[in-house]
Amino acid sequence: MKKVKYRIFLDYDKEERWINDMAEKGWHLEKFAPGRFVFRKGEPGAYIYRLEFVGNLPKEEKEEYVGILEDSGASIVHESFGWIYAKKPADGGPFELYTDAGSKIAYYNRILNTFLILFLVAIGGAGYNFSLARMTDIEAVPIASGVVCALSAFIIGVQMIKISRKKKKLQESFFE
Amino acid sequence: MDDKAPLTEGVYYILLALYEPRHGYGIMQYVSELSKGRVHLGPGTVYGAIKSLLKRNWIAPLQGEGRKKEYVITEEGKRAVEAEIARLSELYHNGLLITGGGNKQ
Repeated sequence: MKKVKYRIFLDYDKEERWINDMAEKGWHLEKFAPGRFVFRKGEPGAYIYRLEFVGNLPKEEKEEYVGILEDSGASIVHESFGWIYAKKPADGGPFELYTDAGSKIAYYNRILNTFLILFLVAIGGAGYNFSLARMTDIEAVPIASGVVCALSAFIIGVQMIKISRKKKKLQESFFE
Repeated sequence: MDDKAPLTEGVYYILLALYEPRHGYGIMQYVSELSKGRVHLGPGTVYGAIKSLLKRNWIAPLQGEGRKKEYVITEEGKRAVEAEIARLSELYHNGLLITGGGNKQ
């Protein structure tokens, strides 16, 4: 039995929690497309899911890393836009990608660096399109593109703030 | 990781694991075994450590044919482990000295 759910997440931790909540109820993520989740009915709690950003890794490194994931019993459910959705049978022990604060902070920094570049590109795109709109007669296209860029920049910016907060919290926990 | 800072538990155990050539998952397994199941390293933690240890030449990749890349500790890496053992030994002995070894007896 299958179930399709449409949902947009701006926070990947929330998305991961939701996918794991579904798995707890016996709905295991089988396919993903942006905004669209396909679940298949199975044994409740049989899998643990993890979402990870690997978009900044060179191809060879990503393959090596995915190899380590697969060796350890995980499999890749889906990969797009630099994100992987991995699952591992729950009876194979815990499934944590980062097991100490230092490496988790390094991971957050990796995401933040990539997001900063995307953010700047989106801001640049918005500025370029809005200035183009002033110069041409057909304004609709550059304005629409500009709005999309500005919106992307906003979403990426919010993500960066959220990740920075998580990072800060982790850094503080170091000294407690 | 800066050069003089204490090693994290994970990095210390990864370096020990690489006194014999091992690939990423081999490191994870060996560290669990060595610590009698106390330390489980996540794949992200292990791979991140491999990359930064390569950068500082404490470990080196082996030229292999296989799909899985193996790594081994370098002389520089061994020196870092030895320095860490000296540091841990100081911590341990001073701990015993002050506490009298606890009152386990």
